[in-house]
Amino acid sequence: MTTMERPVLPKLIGARVKRREDPRLIRGRATYVDDIKLPGMLHLAFKRSDVAHGRIKRIDTSAAEAMPGVVAVFTGKDLMALPGATRPVGARGTYAAKIGAGLPPMPIGTPFPSPDHYAIAPEVVRYVGEPVAVVAAEDRYVARDAVDAIVVEYEELPAVVDPELAMQGQPTVIHEGFPNNLALPYVPMGTGVDPATGQVDNSAIDRAFAEAEVVISQRMVNHRVAPNAMEPRGVVAHWDAGKEFLTIWSATQNPHILKSMVAAVLGLGEHQVRAIAPEVGGGFGCKINIYGEEYVAAALSRILERPVKWIEDRSEAFMATIHGRDLICYLDIAARRDGRILGVKMKLIADIGAYNMLLTAAIPTLTMLMASGTYDIPAIRCELTEVFTNKTPTDAYRGAGRPEATYFLERGMDMLARELGLDPAEVRRRNFIPKEKFPYTTQTGAVYDSGDYEKALDRVLQLAKWDELIAERDRLRAEGRLVGVGLAFYVEVCGLGPSSSLPTGGWEHASVTVERDGRIRATTGASPHGQGNETTFAQMLADLFGVPIEHITIEHGDTGVVRQGIGTFGSRSQAVGGTALMMAGEKVRKKMAKFAAALMDANEEDLVFENGMIYVKGSPSTGKSFAEVARYAYVPVPLPPGLEPGLSEEAFFEPPNNTYPFGAHICMLEIDRETGEPRLLKFFAVDDCGNVINPLIVEGQVHGGLAQGIGQAMFEEVVYGPDGQLLTGSFMDYALPRATDFPWFELDRTVTPTPVNPLGAKGVGEAGTLGSTPAVVNAAVDALSEFGVKHIDMPLRPEKLWRIIHGRGQA
Amino acid sequence: MELAGEHRFRAPRQAVWKALLDPEALREAIPGCEQLERIGEDAYSVTLKVGIAAIKGTYTGTVRIADQQPETSYRMLVTGEGKPGSVEGEAELQLSEDGDGTLVRYRGEVRARGAIARLGSRLLTGAAKLLIGQFFKGMESQLQRRPA
Repeated sequence: MTTMERPVLPKLIGARVKRREDPRLIRGRATYVDDIKLPGMLHLAFKRSDVAHGRIKRIDTSAAEAMPGVVAVFTGKDLMALPGATRPVGARGTYAAKIGAGLPPMPIGTPFPSPDHYAIAPEVVRYVGEPVAVVAAEDRYVARDAVDAIVVEYEELPAVVDPELAMQGQPTVIHEGFPNNLALPYVPMGTGVDPATGQVDNSAIDRAFAEAEVVISQRMVNHRVAPNAMEPRGVVAHWDAGKEFLTIWSATQNPHILKSMVAAVLGLGEHQVRAIAPEVGGGFGCKINIYGEEYVAAALSRILERPVKWIEDRSEAFMATIHGRDLICYLDIAARRDGRILGVKMKLIADIGAYNMLLTAAIPTLTMLMASGTYDIPAIRCELTEVFTNKTPTDAYRGAGRPEATYFLERGMDMLARELGLDPAEVRRRNFIPKEKFPYTTQTGAVYDSGDYEKALDRVLQLAKWDELIAERDRLRAEGRLVGVGLAFYVEVCGLGPSSSLPTGGWEHASVTVERDGRIRATTGASPHGQGNETTFAQMLADLFGVPIEHITIEHGDTGVVRQGIGTFGSRSQAVGGTALMMAGEKVRKKMAKFAAALMDANEEDLVFENGMIYVKGSPSTGKSFAEVARYAYVPVPLPPGLEPGLSEEAFFEPPNNTYPFGAHICMLEIDRETGEPRLLKFFAVDDCGNVINPLIVEGQVHGGLAQGIGQAMFEEVVYGPDGQLLTGSFMDYALPRATDFPWFELDRTVTPTPVNPLGAKGVGEAGTLGSTPAVVNAAVDALSEFGVKHIDMPLRPEKLWRIIHGRGQA
Repeated sequence: MELAGEHRFRAPRQAVWKALLDPEALREAIPGCEQLERIGEDAYSVTLKVGIAAIKGTYTGTVRIADQQPETSYRMLVTGEGKPGSVEGEAELQLSEDGDGTLVRYRGEVRARGAIARLGSRLLTGAAKLLIGQFFKGMESQLQRRPA
């Protein structure tokens, strides 16, 4: 009965398997937060501040409360544990009266000092879009109308908009206890800095600049952008008053962190909360945060004893979801005339907006960590100041701190090459960390796991046909066209862990269960929202167990199903989550081999799992089917000695270090002499993310990263007026790139496995945003070289380029 | 946002000056003006209905006239609030004779907040110019109808 012919299953690791997620996404069969409808569910809408900085003089909610369908209106004072929170709301009472305590300030995930930040501002608003009241109503339309009926009077305070004025305390100070608006006054990193004491010895960096034959100095801005996930945020909260149990659905990247933080803020135990991330339509880092709306929804469900839903609209997302980047860099590079770099200084000023969110303060420290790039730089000094302004808070956005470092350094490398009249590829090559030097510890303390930068550079030069590309550029220039070529190299930190580097813990969890019928259900603590882990993780298990991929389900995003987890960010799913999954899978396979060995009277070490069979190596015809062994494990008669029934195991994986993927991007760009409009002609990317499970998915991740990196360079920018008004609150004013803005992306890879996990996988989710941004700006500066331009701050708006071409100065 | 422009009236300066400060004439000429009432010396409360894209809505506010130099110039201070947000503006109007007509030059600044700023800032200049154009046209036709 076990000798029947079985189809040969292809090995799937490394294969271009199409994403199993896509059919349901494309056909509208996925369940997002907004698809969740519970009986008796109320709808929330938030009244948000229209002023950038002001003291709330008066909030009149009476008209809103009188509207039919409105169940309750809460101000910040009603929900928070503050004096004045005594206004009864209908018969329900305040949150404090109902629960015995008000909502405390929101917790953050970094150890730095931070001002109190309430989910709903009780007294002072500090950015346009900060919530000042929330309405719960029977339907979404009534909730929105009621928000419009709330009247708020502010005593307007001066808006703090320019970070470099802000750090002099001008025009005012936003938070008491943070003089000169300094969230972090001064953090040094690099050569001569003692990380334990913070003591600074300048001798090495000063020597590097004293010995320099050439010094490059430039102020650059890596401007503020909005993450713009296709699905805005949303939350449904359901407090079961009978069981005293909260279920919260949220468009989040990390339901386990949400569970812990909601429990802590609401004064519940973690055993009383289940957090679910259903289908999540992209995050790019902005959904790592736990936001005020999530706490408020949970609290209101508890007060009102009804399920509540809040769905963010697009223009709300522009002001209420974290922004990314916004870093000023004063860069100095000391070098010899042969191009060899002696020292680098980066003075960084981060405009973090009005409050610290979950990881806000930590993001710019990653810029310092990565200041060495792919180069063997003997002396580096970074200095970081983080500044509060009256803007939406910043936090992690695809790349989070590393694209900023790459941008500044790679712009600097190009300036150095131009200054010395050297080929930009050659300057980089002369400074690369040689492959023999890995693991390599940078002057800023990063321990690069593995790398072969020359190989990636050679590959991209070959892919782009560098010499021909330069000849083509020169030919087009001779015709009077403004054409430039840009190259940029990058290295980034991925596979975030170990626990010493993350306040949440730096591990990941997985479980694998072989069911009675031989089908496999696995869970992962990674919470994919576009990364395709349902495909890649199933590929790994299919190969491990020798079963068809259709027999495997990967479950995620539900703390009721996935016992433990951290979540998806920092390109860690494959490197950390994938490894945990393999560890759990191997445990199950080992146990299953014991059952099979007992059943077949064989030695478990000799067994092979292949083509839906388990058999002794060399004799496939004598094996048992995978399903038969599974059945035996659940009805083990007789039970082999020393074995428990069942096939279900879990594993935690804690990596010993981060991974450091790298790559090189080249682009060719033309600028219209008459209109200043830039257009990408060619784009080449070579990325090295170590071993690859699914090249199709890796390419998809690179494409998305390139789109966002190029988007920042050319189009996207969050703009505030001098009064702190957000001027880019819609897609009419905030330019996202479209498919027609891109040329065909020509991609290739080199493979340098990491030693820090058994898969050798490094991570690729963010990589595309690193090299592309400086490559594009380098190309634009090259295109305008005839006008003697040294640097152009992003984005490359036509008006800015036109001014350079037509000699009207830089905008 | 800064606004500047001019309009030539086919009417004598004295008549234009009078009309520009006449609540009755203003109510008729201001596009979408549903109500305009005198609330004090050179101060009026107004209700305006605007039907342009992102700044669509009903606005209530005040208009104050200051620094009057008879038949020559005055400053107008406007505040308004509606569902899409609020606006604050200040403009100076200057009148000069231009042959048999009168040239009115204006220069001012408008500050917006709320959705108007976020969604409408790009449209605001165009919308304001449109509304100002309609206002002058309305004034013009009134001046033609009633003799100075």
